[in-house]
Amino acid sequence: MIITENLKFQYNKQESPFNFPDIDLNSNENLLILGKSGIGKTTFLHLLAGLLTPTEGKVVINNTEINSLSQSKLDKFRGEHIGMVFQQKHAVQSLTVVDNLKARLFFSKKTLNDSKIETLLNSLDLLHCKNKKTNEISEGQLQRLGIALAVIHNPQVILADEPTSSLDDDNCKTVIELLIQQAAETKANLIVITHDQRIKSFFSNTITL
Amino acid sequence: MNIWKISIQNIKSKALYTFLSILTLALSIALLLGIQQIKNSFEHQLENNIGEIDLVIGAKGSPLQLILASVLHLDNPTGNIPYIDAKKLGKHPMVKTAVPISYGDNYKGYRIVGTTDKFLSLYHAEIASGRRVEHSLEVVIGHRVAERTGLKLGDTFLSSHGLVDNDIDVHNNKIKVVGILKPTGNVIDRLMITNLESIWEVHEHEQHNEDHDGYDKDHYGEEHLNHDDHDEDHLSEEHASHDDHNKYDEDHHDEQHSDHENHHEDDKEITSLLISFRSPAAFLTFPRRINEKTNMQAALPKFELDRLYEFTGIGLTTITWIAYLILLISGIIIFVSLYKMVKERSFDLALLRTYGASNLQLIKMVALEGLIVLIIAFSLGYLFVKVGLKYMFSFLSDNKQNMLQELPFEDVLQTTGMVFAVIVLSILIAIYPIIKMNISTILSNEK
Repeated sequence: MIITENLKFQYNKQESPFNFPDIDLNSNENLLILGKSGIGKTTFLHLLAGLLTPTEGKVVINNTEINSLSQSKLDKFRGEHIGMVFQQKHAVQSLTVVDNLKARLFFSKKTLNDSKIETLLNSLDLLHCKNKKTNEISEGQLQRLGIALAVIHNPQVILADEPTSSLDDDNCKTVIELLIQQAAETKANLIVITHDQRIKSFFSNTITL
Repeated sequence: MNIWKISIQNIKSKALYTFLSILTLALSIALLLGIQQIKNSFEHQLENNIGEIDLVIGAKGSPLQLILASVLHLDNPTGNIPYIDAKKLGKHPMVKTAVPISYGDNYKGYRIVGTTDKFLSLYHAEIASGRRVEHSLEVVIGHRVAERTGLKLGDTFLSSHGLVDNDIDVHNNKIKVVGILKPTGNVIDRLMITNLESIWEVHEHEQHNEDHDGYDKDHYGEEHLNHDDHDEDHLSEEHASHDDHNKYDEDHHDEQHSDHENHHEDDKEITSLLISFRSPAAFLTFPRRINEKTNMQAALPKFELDRLYEFTGIGLTTITWIAYLILLISGIIIFVSLYKMVKERSFDLALLRTYGASNLQLIKMVALEGLIVLIIAFSLGYLFVKVGLKYMFSFLSDNKQNMLQELPFEDVLQTTGMVFAVIVLSILIAIYPIIKMNISTILSNEK
């Protein structure tokens, strides 16, 4: 579950602050946040992930107010409870597909035996390229690896930043279905921010910034 | 998976930079350590060869030549000095020990040094087998000489005249090996040591025998000229004793045969006198007095060899600076390699932050990359030096001595410390942007 209250953020004092709507998601609830470019979607997502500190208001994930945590505790908390999906760059270049997953687990201090990792890779149709470097696999595969990386550690919240905007219609559908499916399996809240209207129909819960 | 493995994967993913970093760093480490070891071996060799010799007294001429001839046994002597004068100097209260040495002959290029018993203790040399010289025409040979010539205890040989190996001018007196020295690592390893009398005797016998066989004085003259054909410097001693003898022969042509061996040694000459002082105060007055008041010269081995070393040291200094330069370049390459990693792969680093990695873990990861390169390069560099110098010195075997000296631990530590300081500094500068890294901005600028 994730709750925000009265979130405000200001990059510098000359600009007017971003005001974000309050959200309150119970476990297994998903949310689509739509909005044009420059409206502060990514800022909102980064506030939810604890990558930015709000000027005002608070973010509560699983009864923990993340802004009250120290930097190192926040790093740990993020590693354990949050999974993030990005638009294009999803994984560390110097590591192979499977090593990326293992690194992800290492930093979130979780362990998963190899067969579980393989099951996940298989469910995302990535098993055949598990020992390839990330620059050797296709964009679709990379996108699916991004999803694997966001869910492998069983997070409470999955935050996706424009996960479909560079994909064609078919891939767009596949990816968003996979995300929803994986979130359901791990009982996580899925929050997607996008300007991509194609995925609107997949979510019952939508807010527009 | 752990940070080590990620660092190693990072290194592997930029093979060219890693290769360049390791190569330049290893090269600079090898040069620095190599130069230091060569320098050290050279200095140690010189100092070792000086032994306890504080001062060398010989005939007037080049002081460096006198030292090279009498201490390092490399050059030709400057000439001879009267033994009686040398003996007087040896009795001076400031003098602790005075060891006369006299040259004249060699065996297969190894010099035969006529001296007294004290010569061995100057170099702390000990007998490995056999005994010390007790009679004339006996020698104790250095470890290297025994190894190279194959001479064993009880073997006899004929010496040749002068300091260079030759088959033409061979003496008739058989010299017997009575002792072999333990290896010392200094010049005594390549010397053959006998008593002063042997040197005098070999040359006297020769003349007497020749005389006896009916050589007339014309022949003597010829003999003399032959000697002149040799290098003039190192034969001057020979020269002098021949002259001496000529006169002697002329004066006492009939009586000499019976008593020539009892011939008073005060008339003889030696090449030089090696002196060690009782106290350092003697350095101030003693050499000056000899140089001013006698027709002999006094030379300080330490001073002369330091002077020599200053000249030969220029090359080593140049290479040392080149090594520093390469170290600097290598530091820059490592810096660029890591900085590139931090800047160009900032998204990867930010991604790792979203995985739950702390700043400290990222710093550790990048630092480990640098340290792995450093450690590989250091091991390689060290190996280069070990193998390279062994190989090089095995080529230089004609210097008849095992010159290579292990580098003292402090020196290795000093170089290591410096290299580590430079590289760690490069790593720290490269890491700095991580501390300032704004993950949110980096992730927002994904496209």
